Amino acid sequence: MIIFDDVWFSYNPDQYVLRNLCLQLKPGQIIGLMGENGAGKTTLVKHINGLLKPTQGAVFVDGVNTRETSTAQLARQVGFVFQNADHQLFADTLQAEIAFALRNLDFSKAEIEQRVTRYLERFELTRYQDQSPFLLSGGERKRLALASVLCVEPKILILDEPTQAQDALQKQKLLDFMETFRSPDHILLLVTHDMEFAIRAVDRLLILSKGQLIADGSPRQILNNPSIFERARLLPPQLTQFAHQLAEYIPQFPTDITTLPEAVDAVNQLLRSRR
Amino acid sequence: MAAIFEAFRFKQKDTFMHRLDPRTTFFMAVVFSIVGMLFLEIIPLLLILLTMIPFIFLARSVRQWSKSLRGLALLAGFILTINTFFLTFSFAVSTVLRLVVLMTAFSLFFLTVHPDDFALALIKMRVPYEFAFAFSMAVRYVPTIATETETIRDAQMSRGLELERGNILQRVRNYIPILIPIIVSSIRRALQVAESLESRAFGSTTNRTSLYELKLRKRDYALMVVSTLILVFALYITFIIRIQAPWFLPDWFFWHFPL
Ligand SMILES: Nc1ncnc2c1ncn2[C@@H]1O[C@H](COP(=O)(O)OP(=O)(O)OP(=O)(O)O)[C@@H](O)[C@H]1O
Ligand SMILES: [Mg+2]
Repeated sequence: MIIFDDVWFSYNPDQYVLRNLCLQLKPGQIIGLMGENGAGKTTLVKHINGLLKPTQGAVFVDGVNTRETSTAQLARQVGFVFQNADHQLFADTLQAEIAFALRNLDFSKAEIEQRVTRYLERFELTRYQDQSPFLLSGGERKRLALASVLCVEPKILILDEPTQAQDALQKQKLLDFMETFRSPDHILLLVTHDMEFAIRAVDRLLILSKGQLIADGSPRQILNNPSIFERARLLPPQLTQFAHQLAEYIPQFPTDITTLPEAVDAVNQLLRSRR
Repeated sequence: MAAIFEAFRFKQKDTFMHRLDPRTTFFMAVVFSIVGMLFLEIIPLLLILLTMIPFIFLARSVRQWSKSLRGLALLAGFILTINTFFLTFSFAVSTVLRLVVLMTAFSLFFLTVHPDDFALALIKMRVPYEFAFAFSMAVRYVPTIATETETIRDAQMSRGLELERGNILQRVRNYIPILIPIIVSSIRRALQVAESLESRAFGSTTNRTSLYELKLRKRDYALMVVSTLILVFALYITFIIRIQAPWFLPDWFFWHFPL
């Protein structure tokens, strides 16, 4: 469980980047965090593993105040995959890259070896294990970055814009991975600008705008509130836009459509009722 | 560690030092660095440092300078340990002082000269435009790299990296996971910038003109003369007096710690 208790944060004294933030994130959920550029999303998630400490208020991770612990300590529970894999990869080989976090956290030699093999396999990187991470393709580097954080088996995982520059197949793979991460004691927090992706992936959506939480609910609840979209400079998924525009002509057409099967269903019913 | 960059980040201010011609500031930085390299005795190095400090005050940049000195602490600590271990404590101290002198000389330059003005100055000194441009680009990217360094540090700390862990050698090694991504991404960026420059026809004309012209004023000449005198004096002491008649030098010149 992660608790933000009236958190205020500023990088320099004259302006707050996070304001009056109260939040509880419960295990068992995949949570999306969206908002305009500069809304403070990255700033918010950096509070969860103690990279930033609140200027006012407090953040608790599993009951521990982040002020009373260190990022290295929190790294056992909180995995954080940064937006750009190149900011993270440095080792001579893929094996060493994955072992890095495990070594920092004083895992035993046997355990390290076992996990390195397991995670290379899981992310389909085994055949490159002795190569340099810099020879991998962009998508592979991203996978390696993910593997090198996940090998610690954190209970909380933060992904900062993981879909950027990924093709449709990679997005689908990421989605599959996120589903496998889901478990009653895991929390996954996804920061993204990709509405279509968020809607497919998350149970709960948080919308941040100018440092304040302006919406919190299921994707469906939020999609039904167009004023939020304008404030956070978000576009609803195309299917939802389509439903809204169609409803102007055909008032009984449902507007809370987010996925393709729902849209097909609604259109089908409409056609049948007309026949 | 990123604090070291503070000393080289230009800040627009209206001070005596900022109004000087970039060539003057460059000349002074070079003179002070050469003089710093000439001596390895503690007291002369301290004197050189003392001569430079008024200029830092004139540039109203004391805070940036002292911040970067603190950033240098780790490296200084490393030099002190290694040199004391293998050589003597006095030698270690003077090496650190020399480093501080060099850093101060160049931070004085970078803090007060706009990168574009420096490029202009280089062209005036008949440096080919491409080189001058490359230099101003390099300076321009310092803040970008500083920000990037912070992101990289955050990313590695999220993977459990503790910079303060271990003995001094270990601590220096702790920086490897930060340094390598910086170097790699800087090289990547350099290649991208080069392509983007070429696609915008960089270097297609040979005769470039510039919007602003540089002009040397009286105070520039005055400072250059003073710097030249300092340089000549320092060269005279090291190459003539110290070699041919070291007994003329006062005792304090050679003062060192008893170990
Ligand atoms: N290290 C820093 N120092 C000072 N200001 C910062 C720093 N990092 C971010 N900011 C400022 O804080 C605000 C929030 O930034 P943040 O990176 O959290 O936004 P974001 O929601 O992640 O945006 P994006 O969608 O562009 O990633 C911005 O106005 C930004 O300029
Ligand atoms: Mg961000």
